[in-house]
Amino acid sequence: MTREEELLLEQVVSAHRERGVDGAIRSHPAWHDLSDDLRREAFDETLRSRQLEAAADPENQSGTVHAVLARLRR
Amino acid sequence: MQDELSLLGRIQAGDAGAFGQWASASERALRLTLRPFAALVDTEAVLQEALLRVWQVAPKFTHDGKPNALLRFSVVTARNCAVSELRRSRPSAAQLDALERELASQAEVAPITPDPLLRAAILECRARLPPQPRQALEQRLSSGGVDDDATLSSRVGMTLNTFLQNVTRARKLLRACLEKAGIALDGELT
Repeated sequence: MTREEELLLEQVVSAHRERGVDGAIRSHPAWHDLSDDLRREAFDETLRSRQLEAAADPENQSGTVHAVLARLRR
Repeated sequence: MQDELSLLGRIQAGDAGAFGQWASASERALRLTLRPFAALVDTEAVLQEALLRVWQVAPKFTHDGKPNALLRFSVVTARNCAVSELRRSRPSAAQLDALERELASQAEVAPITPDPLLRAAILECRARLPPQPRQALEQRLSSGGVDDDATLSSRVGMTLNTFLQNVTRARKLLRACLEKAGIALDGELT
């Protein structure tokens, strides 16, 4: 994996996502720049990362759950 | 089953904390059902959208009396979100056929309970991280997906690329530390 690919992958692993103009959660712009293999790698890395986040959180909540709760509490 | 019904009742009454509790137990199982879409759509965005939709329709949801009713409903919701997203990229018939076959072979889903041993090991391994990777990882963890990486990196005085490299390094070091303690984090495992 090149350094550039590693940086793209790391951005996609983040739980941060923006809303589109239609109000729906948008795909991460960096996701579109990944090859199919790297998209699968990003999926697995995200799975592991969320497991780490949840295990490190006092309420067992991953970045995904925190992001969703922040949206529904707005 | 009684716990599930009690939690569902609180969710239907608009208790976001109860929804967070349910989502934490369901997230991993739900994400794994999206694996067939991994190269086709951004499954993180799909999963967040699906969870928001489940929250929105939960007050009208009727339990069918079988275990994990809301989770099973969420699987259908997440797949529908993924298919809607996929259709925007005009997939080929072959892609759709392969996807359908893979989805049909998926096993029943169940919530996953937290592992106290993993929690203890992660705390210990996090404390051993070098300062910069630890700082970057703490930002990601405390932000909970609310802020983008550009914001997080500026908070710790790093360029975006340095921040991303430090997060990657932190996760690799954490994984190595956990493996040393006999704990394998594997995306392939459920």
